[in-house]
Amino acid sequence: MSPSSKPTTEPDKVRVRLYRFDPATDQAPRYESYEVPYTPRMRIMDVLDHVHETLAVDFGYRWLCGTKKCGTCAVNVNGTPKLACWDAAEPEMTIEPLSNLPLVRDLVTSRDPFEASLASLSPMLVRKAEYAGFPEPLSAQDMAPTAHLRDCIQCLACQSVCPVLRQPDSGFAGPALLVALSELAQDPRDGADRARLADEVAQVFKCVSCYECERVCPTEIPIVSEAIEPLKRLAHSAGRSAGARRTRAFLDVVKARGYANAALVALKTNGFSLHGLRLALRLLPRGKLNLADAFLKRSPPGAAAIRKTYESNGQSSENPE
Amino acid sequence: MTRKYAYFPGCSAKATCRELDTSTQAVAGLFDIELTELENPGCTGAREFRAVSEMLHLTANGRILAQAERLGCDLVAVCDTCLLNLTETNHRLKTDAAARDAVNRALASEHLAFKGERAVKHFLWVLTEDLGEEALRARVVRPLRGLKVAPFYGCHIQRPSTAYGATPPDQAPALDRLCRLLGAEVVQYEGANKCCGFHVIGAEEKIAVRMSGGHLGNAKTNGAQCIVTPCPLCHTVFDAYQPSIEREFQRAYQVPVLHVSQLAGLAFGLSAADVSLSRHVVGCDSILAHIGGSGSPAAAAAE
Repeated sequence: MSPSSKPTTEPDKVRVRLYRFDPATDQAPRYESYEVPYTPRMRIMDVLDHVHETLAVDFGYRWLCGTKKCGTCAVNVNGTPKLACWDAAEPEMTIEPLSNLPLVRDLVTSRDPFEASLASLSPMLVRKAEYAGFPEPLSAQDMAPTAHLRDCIQCLACQSVCPVLRQPDSGFAGPALLVALSELAQDPRDGADRARLADEVAQVFKCVSCYECERVCPTEIPIVSEAIEPLKRLAHSAGRSAGARRTRAFLDVVKARGYANAALVALKTNGFSLHGLRLALRLLPRGKLNLADAFLKRSPPGAAAIRKTYESNGQSSENPE
Repeated sequence: MTRKYAYFPGCSAKATCRELDTSTQAVAGLFDIELTELENPGCTGAREFRAVSEMLHLTANGRILAQAERLGCDLVAVCDTCLLNLTETNHRLKTDAAARDAVNRALASEHLAFKGERAVKHFLWVLTEDLGEEALRARVVRPLRGLKVAPFYGCHIQRPSTAYGATPPDQAPALDRLCRLLGAEVVQYEGANKCCGFHVIGAEEKIAVRMSGGHLGNAKTNGAQCIVTPCPLCHTVFDAYQPSIEREFQRAYQVPVLHVSQLAGLAFGLSAADVSLSRHVVGCDSILAHIGGSGSPAAAAAE
């Protein structure tokens, strides 16, 4: 932030609207408004503490460490997930529980579904060989790919904004679980079948790549490129899900032709189906399906040069370093 | 002064959304913008190259960037996902010498080389930044007065912040500003910055249809007469799959979905045929009726 955009005066008070709801006793949620005296460098948590200690003793919120380690204090502030212990108080705040998670009471959401999903992913090192004893032969280079992933404090801010998790029964594990799985999958000591867990249990190919998770991550983890994409890399060649099949179909079509053809990718992914036919009949009259291109023009001009260039580098899935 | 750009239409604009290519070229022609289409540029790899092989991703995109550099022009994309792949690769190859050398070794057989001399832009930004809002405003001959437009940005033109920086909080986004200067009314609705679900629609149609249906419903409820998007992938979800969305939600929407270049082209006086408005699944007659038919802007202005 440039110096000129800083407020010249700090507020003398903070106006806060708090979400209140106890599903055990209340008919419906309500909001309670409070004014809290502003103190320099005030955090969201300081505001919540003040309300709890002086204004509403029965108000429910949660924190343990207060220092961005435990991941229990994330709440929605003016619609965006924030860590109460780490982010600055704003002059006007509407504070609500993280969305898309079961509510316990007021700002407290349940971590139970997350913990249960985590348990289904063998969230511990499953060694390929017996522990060799200390010191383990493990280099900084071995651990580099997961360096950022180990910053995850499992605050569930990402889970609360993931649009796929908002769909009922999506089966998708969500970004925080994929970070945990990816950390193990990329650990050279681990020998569990992480490819199968990623494809079938965590269902990584249901990620829509919207980067909403990265937008709200308080520890700024590149979740898509460093957790989710490495899992797709691991799982795409043998994966049995429709998403894994679609990835293979896309790669086959583009490597053969130099560009994607929607009809061919769809056919290779799902085979022939009435559903696909219905969609095709919807698109054909509008000129949106180029069937001649798909089935007659087998070797588009220039495809060979493109293929050659790709293949000279494409087979290596490692970093260029 | 002719402005020259290297042009990468991407697979959608050459097939599923050919109207995007047509209307982009038509709008460019109005402003003396020369778009030179790359020859056999290949594919940016959507979400797939980057997932399965980092080198494949960098090589495919580095090749496209090198083709633009050979023309000596900045590169223009018209698809959000292509834009992100090219933007990230451009940055990576400019700053990572080892990756750049590896890519250039692969490109050598075609006598191509990535040097890192050019920028990547969306055609929307060519309009709003390179031409500037004054030049655009001066060209509006058929203002879209009273037309309620719901902008839908798509993810990959705004996220991740590592590619585009954080959004300036005090500035309305480019597409909102463009719509207003064309005379349209911008519909505020929950969903404008969210995800359409395109990248799973081929495998998990229900997830994508439910996601996009929520945004479409919000736009419609808030009075949108049409959606406008800078991304052909979002266009495909909202237009080609709109009948599927209607079936899933048991609600009739019939919201036309326009590409940025189509909406702008109409305001700049181009005809419905010029911007290829008949190639949509959801018909655009209601839009044409609102802005004064498909005829000449002079007739519309006389109203």
